[in-house]
Amino acid sequence: MTELNSDSMLNAQWARVRGRLRAEFGEATFRSWLKPLNLAGKRGPDLRVSVPSRFMRDWVATHYADRLKALWSSENPEVRSVEVIVDAHRPVPDLDLDNLDEAANEDTPVSTSPIPATPVRDDDSVESVSAPLDPRLTFENFVVGKSNELAHAAALRVAEADSVPFNPLFLYGGVGLGKTHLMNAIAWHIRTKKPEKKVIYLSAEKFMYQFIRAIRNKNTMSFKELFRSVDILMVDDVQFIIGKDSTQEEFFHTFNALADQNRQVVLSADKSPSDLEGLEERMRSRLGWGLVADIHPTTYELRLGILQSRAEQSGVPIPHKVLEFLAHRISSNVRELEGALTRITAHATLVGHPVTLESAQELLRDLLRANDRRVTIEEIQKRVAEHFNIKLADMQSPRRARQVARPRQIAMFLAKQLTTRSLPEIGRKFGGRDHTTVMHAVKKVEELCTADSGFAEDVDLLRRMLDG
Amino acid sequence: MAPQQLPLDLEYRPALGMADFVIAPGNRDAVAWIDRWPDWPAHALAIHGPKGSGKSHLAHVWQARSQAAFLERAPAEDVPQSVVLDEPQGWPDAALLHLYNRLREAGGHLLIVSETPPARWPVALPDLASRLASIPAVALAAPDDDLLIAVMAKQFADRGLEVNEDVLRYVASRVERSFAAAADIVARIDRAALAQQRKVTLALARDIMASL
Repeated sequence: MTELNSDSMLNAQWARVRGRLRAEFGEATFRSWLKPLNLAGKRGPDLRVSVPSRFMRDWVATHYADRLKALWSSENPEVRSVEVIVDAHRPVPDLDLDNLDEAANEDTPVSTSPIPATPVRDDDSVESVSAPLDPRLTFENFVVGKSNELAHAAALRVAEADSVPFNPLFLYGGVGLGKTHLMNAIAWHIRTKKPEKKVIYLSAEKFMYQFIRAIRNKNTMSFKELFRSVDILMVDDVQFIIGKDSTQEEFFHTFNALADQNRQVVLSADKSPSDLEGLEERMRSRLGWGLVADIHPTTYELRLGILQSRAEQSGVPIPHKVLEFLAHRISSNVRELEGALTRITAHATLVGHPVTLESAQELLRDLLRANDRRVTIEEIQKRVAEHFNIKLADMQSPRRARQVARPRQIAMFLAKQLTTRSLPEIGRKFGGRDHTTVMHAVKKVEELCTADSGFAEDVDLLRRMLDG
Repeated sequence: MAPQQLPLDLEYRPALGMADFVIAPGNRDAVAWIDRWPDWPAHALAIHGPKGSGKSHLAHVWQARSQAAFLERAPAEDVPQSVVLDEPQGWPDAALLHLYNRLREAGGHLLIVSETPPARWPVALPDLASRLASIPAVALAAPDDDLLIAVMAKQFADRGLEVNEDVLRYVASRVERSFAAAADIVARIDRAALAQQRKVTLALARDIMASL
């Protein structure tokens, strides 16, 4: 009896139970749900297995508890019940588990919920480490221009080549110019054309995160094995691990191991290896062995080309002059350019109005103007007085002559429109006038705007000058 | 921030459902995007507008729908599926950048509410700056008189007070055009009516406005 329940015996029994479970439920289910089970102990007839999260406990208890018990009983007749418990101290093997845990907090009873779309991934699989690829970021969608043609050609070469053309391929350039796009494109290309190849694409930050996690879980061996078993490793934004000594060290070893086995490494950073401060010298020289390709800031033509291509894909008709305006005004980088276009197309879809230059400008105010400082009543008075060539003092004066009264009314109208001041306050700023006078002015200007398009244009011009 | 920042009586709780949100030209787009979630143009959305323009209200509506977490600082490890950030300008650049990236990778959603649009924040890290500038951003405008009247009518109704439109119009044209100012004046009028055992009339409103 005691022999039957010694640790080694229980472990052997557990191994056989796991083997049977794997055979009965298949590899995918086993890996998702059953492999993470740990033998927690046995007390008399009660056997306990632990899982890392509440959600998994519910799922396993609902779906596999009967088989677990039956298989255990056949291995060890003493076992009468199998309880699934949550081991909170046990490290959660994968980020996905946490997402599943979120799902467990919903009201849906677990027993009736369908199998989640993303089952728990194995701790040490390429898929769980690699970042999800963005389906839009393919070579087909990459608009090539003078500023990025070298980087594009090099990336394409890496994706298509059967042997490693240069190692590493080091892409660098300012933010939002397409480094991530090229890395995604390489991954997509290989995934489609050579699905047998193992590709990992991830951010340097995630590399570090995985590494720290592996250290904490005393799991660095499988970390090393995983990263050294891939055909292509791509790490985005390596500047983020510079200065993180042990991560940088581990990264260097990983890189060397892969390079020695003639596996491709692709890296990106915001600067060239020679300009990356804090980079170890041996690493710097090693990174320079491959091809270093920079991506320059975009030209106007390339920006326009990108916008045309994206606008076509969106299916929302956008006037050419809007695209030209964007290409002209948003020159910093492609991410912001595409963000601006996304905002315009999304808004057009939302409200169902055609896109105009004016609507685009209005939508992108926060991007186009340096600041959103509110205009003051004094500024309005000054600008309107200048525009109509009257004295600033006439804004406060009691004179009622048309040539000063009308501009004053326009200024009051604009003060009401462009500031948050109340009518009495506006009246005070215009020589202590009553709020009914302001109300009258607002009404009058509105009427004139409807009746006289020339007048309306004049007012609108003033409004735009004051409002940016 | 939470609506408690407005000087409201303890007994009074503003209703924070979407049904209680007064839709007007100045906020229609923002409301539409909240309504459309998860059909957003990107994984992140920014809503910006002056104090009291309804940011908190919309953030709470979305939070209730998406089960998002309000985060005050970067999570050490595991990122919730959806996150609301209320004025996260005090965050370290790198923390905000990595939260943004991780939510994007995980297919999560991020709602940022702030007074100034994220594209204008003084951010030192270029990677973050360009992401903030690329987030679809919608402005909540300061309310016009009609909206102000509607909002005050709702707030009076929330307090069980029925108020004549003349009174509302009188007050609306005299307060600063912000929801905060409107909420404040409603609270003052309510308090005065209660203390003096008076009905909310034009005369009472005039007294309160004069006392400001």
